[in-house]
Order: sequence, then C-alpha cells, then structure tokens
Amino acid sequence: MTLFSDTSHLFVRSMKKLLRNPILLFFSLFQPVIFLLFFTQLFSKFSLLPGFPAGASYQDYAVAGIVLQNGFSSSFQSGTAIVDDLRSGFLSKMLATPVSRSAILLGRILSDAFRVIVQSTIIFGLAFILGTSAATGILGYLVALSIIAFFGLAWSGISLSIGLRTKSAETVFGIAGFLTFPLLFTSTALVSSGVLPKWMQTVSSYNPISYTTDAIRALVLGMNSNTGYTVGTILTAYGVIGFIGILTMGATLYLFRKVVS
Amino acid sequence: MRYIQYDSVSKMVAIQVENLVMTYGDGTKAVKGISFGVDEGEFFGFLGPNGAGKSTTIKILTTLLRKTSGSVKVAGHDVEHDAQTIRKLIGVQMQDTVIDEDLTGRENLMLQGHLQSLHGEDLRTRVNELLKIVDLEGAANKRAAYYSGGMKKRLDLASTLVHQPRLLFLDEPTTGLDPQTRATVWSYLKQLNQEQGITIFITTQYLEEVDRLCRRLAILDHGEIVAKGSPAELKQEIGADAITLGFGNGTTGNGTAREKAKQILTGLSGVTNIVDADGGVVVYAKNGGFMVPDIVRAFDGANIRLSSIGVSTPTLDDVFLKHTGRRIRPEELDKSRGSGRMFSRRR
Ligand SMILES: Nc1ncnc2c1ncn2[C@@H]1O[C@H](COP(=O)(O)OP(=O)(O)O)[C@@H](O)[C@H]1O
Ligand SMILES: [Mg+2]
Repeated sequence: MTLFSDTSHLFVRSMKKLLRNPILLFFSLFQPVIFLLFFTQLFSKFSLLPGFPAGASYQDYAVAGIVLQNGFSSSFQSGTAIVDDLRSGFLSKMLATPVSRSAILLGRILSDAFRVIVQSTIIFGLAFILGTSAATGILGYLVALSIIAFFGLAWSGISLSIGLRTKSAETVFGIAGFLTFPLLFTSTALVSSGVLPKWMQTVSSYNPISYTTDAIRALVLGMNSNTGYTVGTILTAYGVIGFIGILTMGATLYLFRKVVS
Repeated sequence: MRYIQYDSVSKMVAIQVENLVMTYGDGTKAVKGISFGVDEGEFFGFLGPNGAGKSTTIKILTTLLRKTSGSVKVAGHDVEHDAQTIRKLIGVQMQDTVIDEDLTGRENLMLQGHLQSLHGEDLRTRVNELLKIVDLEGAANKRAAYYSGGMKKRLDLASTLVHQPRLLFLDEPTTGLDPQTRATVWSYLKQLNQEQGITIFITTQYLEEVDRLCRRLAILDHGEIVAKGSPAELKQEIGADAITLGFGNGTTGNGTAREKAKQILTGLSGVTNIVDADGGVVVYAKNGGFMVPDIVRAFDGANIRLSSIGVSTPTLDDVFLKHTGRRIRPEELDKSRGSGRMFSRRR
C-alpha cells in the first residue's frame, strides 16, 4: 500500500525536521506556559467568582483553556510548514516523483497532530507538578489528548488553506495573531461564561473554542452535578470539531489539488 | 533494482513535443506552439535567454505543469494520461537547488528513494553508491544545511538519480555555480550520458556548454524555437566568419554613422550578412580574415573610427543573433570576443 508507506516516510521526515528545530516544538508552548505559571497566580481569586465549580482552583479551571490556546497557535504552524515546501520547491520535487499526493498532505497533518499531543502532554505534566490532576484519571487524559489533537487537525486546515492560497508564511502568522485573542477572550477558555458580559456570553456560545475547552475541562474537573459537565459536553465537542474539520479540510483539499495539478 | 541500459539497436524516441502551447492564467504566452523530438540516449540542449520559456517547457515535460494545448510524449507516454508512469522513469532537477536542509545528505537520498517506492538493502546500496559518485561520502551524515553551495548542488543531482531514471531533465544546472563546480557537474552528466546511456534534456544560457556537449539543441526565444539542429549544422548555416566591429566612443550612439558604416559594408564583396549588435555591428563574410584590411581602408576613407575588430568562426551566439537580432548574453560576449583579440583568428 503506497499511501500508507508514503505517508509514514513523510511523517518521519516532518518528525525529524521538528526534532532538529526544537524551537518549532516550543514556539507555540511559550505563551501557554507563561499563562500557566503567572496568570493562574495572578487570577487565583477568579475562583471565588460566581459560576466557578466549588473546590477547584483557578489553575485547575484554566489548564483546559491553556491546552487549547497552545493547540490554537500550534495549528498555525502547519500552514507555514507547507509554505516552506511550496517556496523552497520541495513540494515540486515531491510532485515530480510518483509519491501518493494524499500522502503529502496526510504526512503533514498527522505530524502536526502528533506535535500538538506532545505539547499538550507537556502542559498537563507541568500542571500536574503544580498540583492539578485530572479527575477522570489516565483515561481522561487520553480522551483530552484526542480532543485537542482533533481540534488541532481541524484548525490546522485553516492555516493550511491560508498558506496554500497566499503562499506566504507572514500572512499565516499575521492572521493567527489577529485571531488569537478575540477568539480566546470571547470563549470560556479562561473564565466561565457567567463572568462574561452579556454580549460576550452570546459570542461565546457560538465560539467553537468554548465547546472544545468545556470538554477538556469536563475531563480535568470531572463530570458531576458540582461541575455541571456531562458526557454530552464531550460528545458535543467532537461534533463541533468534526463540523469545523470537514469545512477546513475540504478547503485545504480543494486548494491543495489546485496546487498539485 | 530497476536498471535500464541504453540499447543502441532499438533507438526509441525519448521526448516528442508537438505544437506545445502554454498560456499562464494571467495571459502570459510563455510557449507559443513549439515542436521538437529527442532520441533515446541523446544529450539535448535547450538554449535560450532569460524568460524564453525554458523552465515552463521543462515543467510541462516533467508533469509539473498542465499545458494549454499540444501533444507531449515522454518515453512514449502521454504527460497527461500517463503522468505516474513518466514520474517513475524520469529524474528532475529544478532551476534552484532543492534539498531538505534539515536532513542529512544520506537522509535526503533515502527519502527520494522512498518517494520512488524503493526500500531496503537495494536502496541503501544505491544511496551509498551515489554518495561516492558525487563525492559526499565524508559528509553523508551531516545535515545538508552545513553543506557548501557546490555540495548542495551535487546532492541535488544525486537525488534525481536514486531510482536510475532513463531520462534526466535539468533546468539550468550550472547557472550561478563557480567554474570548478560547473565543470564537475558537466563531467558527471557526460559520464551518465555516455556510460549509462541516460537521455539528458538540459536547459542553459551558456552557449559554450551546449556547443561542447550537446549532440543536438533547440534555441528558444520568446516562447518560440528559432533554430534546431546540431551545433555544427547550425553554425554552418551561417556559412561565414563573423567579424565583430566596435565603433569608437561617440560614434556608437550616432545612428547616421552606423547607417553609413552599414552602407559601406554592404558594398564590399564577400559580405553575406550584417547584423546590429551592442556598440557596433557583426559582419558575416567568407574568409573573414582577408576582409579586415578592406573594411579598415573603407572606414578610414569615410572617417568612421573603429574601437575594435574581432574575427572568429561563427558561434551559437551568432546563430542566435542571426535569428533574433539580439545577443543571448551581451555581457558575457564582450569577454569572449572583441578588442582583446584583434585580428586574431581562432582555429
Ligand atoms: N507562474 C507564472 N505565471 C505567469 N507567468 C509566468 C509564470 N512562470 C513564468 N512566467 C512567464 O513566462 C515566461 C517564460 O518564463 P520561464 O519559462 O521561466 O523562462 P526561462 O526559464 O527561459 O527563463 C516569462 O515571461 C515569465 O515571466
Ligand atoms: Mg528558467
């Protein structure tokens, strides 16, 4: 099966590139770790505000949002990687061989998902050292990692599309920077919905980042009457991510085919 | 391991191009209906100035770009319907060096083999063999980012050969290289062509290289083939020596002096053609050496000052000049011909 072996070779190539440029691995981690180390201290009194689950510290609460924030900025590196290959001519060089076209995209996407899993594990690990452990245990961590990986895939479709369309890494980064804070601040990533002003609550209820954060938070804080989270919270997140993924991957495939043919 | 030996008995057509047209999305007509053929085992040169359409043509031939119209067959396969088959048979080197700088030299070659569906011991042996051929054994496990320009170019060339292609497409493989690396690259190519019978299709702006190494060539200008044949045939077409006349300062910009000079030259017997060139004219004449005194005398009488006279057997640049009225590379030409070699006849 050439799709499988081609994909694995290109996955390995991306992994080697990532390991040899460790800065890429830690680039998107920088901000989330700062948040974890300082903001959680700074905002520790937030947990006294209405709507916060009893017994949870702000750090317990915010870890989900921090994991998500990393997934968000990490997903924007996918687009710059494909721009690199486009610009350097390496994509053309691959296209001049009989390599499976789908494998080129698949190898890229899978290695991006792998990267976000590694990064999220680092954040969960750091939070664990600082006293936050998931109420749902190892299984909960695994489900959380799968959610953030799918989220990363779905959102990397946005940066891949921008990269394929504009062939400019600066544009990808520019749009990422432009989107980050508006999207994070109008979501439940850092504060509970009850704390947000009315209009933000409305935006937040449409913001896919809220659904994803809530699912990871449900796994960290536990699903019970105290937190108000249920298994439904997690299933909803999968649904929202799946919907976005279909849109962004559809756009990516369309633009990739245009570049390839 | 696939290994295809060139068989001189059953000579096949390696490349067949008919009425190829390429118009880009923005309306640029890069290739305007060209036709040519390349035999298997041939060393074929595609010569033309910047923007002539060489890269566009090579991208279409290597399945990287979809043509607007015309027919293109590579190794007997249609570029559009049989692209995958063609990709297994050809090696492609782009105009810019393309290697993955985060990978080592060996990893680059292994990856290229993997992309061609090669695996295991066969691939490892082949990669080692290639590393030796391009003299990168010592640096094989170093990241390509630390290679010099010449080493990168050699690695790039090796990466196009991993799967033992029958046909090699090279887009300006020597442009921008130092003379030593240039010579090395050409000697590899010559070896590949002569010892393994690999068909080579090469684009270049360097006339001398084509002249020396290519059995046949096509000259491209503004998307059209202006001449094709063997270097000897093309030069013979000129049928005369080239006398390059440079006008003295002040006369160059003076259109009337140029016109007057051309009038005088037309009147001289033995002159077969006169073409304008930068800073002077090129006169074609049989036995050019003997014409020089006549020209000097006639110009003296008309008070036209000459800054230089050079006589040479025709070059491919004269062929280009004849068909397009322009030099392919004015600045290079000044070095290889002109005032420095006054009255000297080559060969
Ligand atoms: N992608 C493109 N879109 C539009 N025009 C292009 C594109 N690529 C090349 N061209 C134009 O096509 C012509 C031929 O270019 P090219 O094939 O690169 O020439 P060469 O390789 O001989 O220098 C040039 O006028 C160039 O500007
Ligand atoms: Mg070119």
